[in-house]
Amino acid sequence: MFESILRLSFAVSTFAATIRLSSPILFGAIGGSFNDRSGMLNIAYEAVMLYSCFFSVLGSYLTGSPWMGMLFGVASGFIISVIFGLMVYTYNANNMIVGIALNSSAWGITTLLMVLIFGVRGSFFSDRIVSFKPINIPFLQNIPFLNTLLNNNVILTYLAYVLVIAGYIVMYKTPFGLRIRGVGQNPAAAYTAGIDVKKYRWVSLILMGIFTSISGTYLTLTGISMFSENMTAGKGFLCMCAISIAKGNPLKILLVCLLFGYSQALVLVLGTLSIPTQIVSMIPYVAVILVLFVNGLKSFKGTADIEV
Amino acid sequence: MKRSKQLFKLNDKFKLNDRVYISLFKYGVSIVLFILLGSLLIMSQGVDPISATRVLFEGTFGSKRAFGNVLRWTAPCILTGAAASVAFKAGVMNLGIEGQVLLGGFVAGVLGAFLELPPALHILVCVIAGGIAGMLYAVIPAVLRLFFNINEFITTMMLNYVANFLTQYLTQQVLAGGLEVWGYVNMQATPTIQKSAVLPTIIPGTSATLAFPVALLIAFAIAFLYKRTIQGYELKQVGENLRFSKTGGVRVVRSFMTIFLLSGLIAGIAGGIEVIGTYKKFNTGFAAFYGYDGISIARIAELDSIAVIIVSFIWAVLKAGSMQVERVLQVNRLTVTILQYIFVLFVAIDYAGIYNRYQDRKIKKRIREGEL
Repeated sequence: MFESILRLSFAVSTFAATIRLSSPILFGAIGGSFNDRSGMLNIAYEAVMLYSCFFSVLGSYLTGSPWMGMLFGVASGFIISVIFGLMVYTYNANNMIVGIALNSSAWGITTLLMVLIFGVRGSFFSDRIVSFKPINIPFLQNIPFLNTLLNNNVILTYLAYVLVIAGYIVMYKTPFGLRIRGVGQNPAAAYTAGIDVKKYRWVSLILMGIFTSISGTYLTLTGISMFSENMTAGKGFLCMCAISIAKGNPLKILLVCLLFGYSQALVLVLGTLSIPTQIVSMIPYVAVILVLFVNGLKSFKGTADIEV
Repeated sequence: MKRSKQLFKLNDKFKLNDRVYISLFKYGVSIVLFILLGSLLIMSQGVDPISATRVLFEGTFGSKRAFGNVLRWTAPCILTGAAASVAFKAGVMNLGIEGQVLLGGFVAGVLGAFLELPPALHILVCVIAGGIAGMLYAVIPAVLRLFFNINEFITTMMLNYVANFLTQYLTQQVLAGGLEVWGYVNMQATPTIQKSAVLPTIIPGTSATLAFPVALLIAFAIAFLYKRTIQGYELKQVGENLRFSKTGGVRVVRSFMTIFLLSGLIAGIAGGIEVIGTYKKFNTGFAAFYGYDGISIARIAELDSIAVIIVSFIWAVLKAGSMQVERVLQVNRLTVTILQYIFVLFVAIDYAGIYNRYQDRKIKKRIREGEL
């Protein structure tokens, strides 16, 4: 038993699954890191992702193209982030409660839309939903280990890892990233330096909406080609956790996302053994708390305190 | 000199008179938008909104049974609302109410099924044990926050999922395994609790149980804590201005911990009462939405425990009514859930801020035109 757990935990296929499962969290986390660094706590990831899941499926179903599906998804994510921005930036609503309301209504609205448009409950699948096709990279085919690990993924998987580097460069090597960080760290100082604080907050919010919705597209249009009720099941919150642990640094986000992806891969592979499924399903969520705990060890002073 | 006097007067006027108007405006606008959007959503499903409203009220106030059902839903709404308002008022973002409700419900369900005690004592033991379970579950995020400076809103959210799977595991794998002897088939729930542990009804023949007065009592107790005691005042200070209260000598760590425990305790009691009062057994995942419902109710009520009772009642009317509307008119019950959260969005808008901005603009305009 223990032996087979170890063998499965370190199998190449598990790592390959890790790479696939990390990418949807990566999209949301990298896009959201800008929003986080601009100083706005936004918990609407779950909502953006769920709407995008639905509209990606709808777009792909109507047009037969996964790219159009992605466009539909991104449009929905854009709209949700604009609603969030209107509520929080323009009408001064509490960001936490707007996030909760958006998240909780997303479940209802997407399910209702599914009933109204497709006429089914629970989950919707059809041959007309076209997914992204895996890409076969010829020169990798002859390398045994790397072939399983990296080959035959959809284009979005590779894009996610390109996005990490792009995100890092934009965040730390461009004036745009510097300004966003400045706005988050000290809005008053940024304002005095002539930066339009509102504009940068809006731009970063919309970046979050667009990239998190690509996560939603990834969840629906790679492989499974279906939409089911509340199918994100906390993946949006994982994005948020990754950002919070990495403090918005894209490279650290990559590490955390790989860890989350690995814990999800473990759920898949260990589910085949005779371990109770509930215990296995707990792994990703416990992993989040453990990572936070390890990360928090350095601020442990031996006494309880609240930092102001 | 004249100008500053005039400005002061305008400011003063705003504070005295317009607060009430702003509140009225806020709820008025929200309700109008709620009705408009609701009508649209109901019409989109091919049903006349007026008849849907009639069915909703028939299903909630039409008969004794229906009204009992409303009271049945009011109780958990008040309790989770109270748990949320206690936490949020003191600046603790306890998003883990759902997990605490689940654990409290599980413990109450197990004790209700397996303990042999005289009736009243059995109920008391179940509810208190449920509360303690919820409280202990809230200790984890509290310790992580206080000792390791880990923001509680992430840990509580993740602990919701963990609680869900943990209770599922305990129900299906641990309990169900040994229960085949009892002729136990339903794997999704613990065995039915004994008669001695069932919470008595307050209106015979309905599903309204003692849970309702207990919930009222707890809500009043919390209102008393915040409005009449020094401890409550300190807790409120911690929530409103942490730095100020720290400098002022409030023991913030202790109050932070107290709040976490209190919030978890109330959530646990909510779970325990739900299980022994309504379901008579612990169903896995029965608490979906309980936590976020509670937070939303607390927010609409502006974190005031007495207002929580009123909002909970309306929330329960909508909840009980939506099921009736679904049965009679085939309107999806999610319609009401969506509308509830859209209402939360509208209430969250800072109307006073908008009004202030509008007033500012007016004053600036008058200054520009040389009137002041």
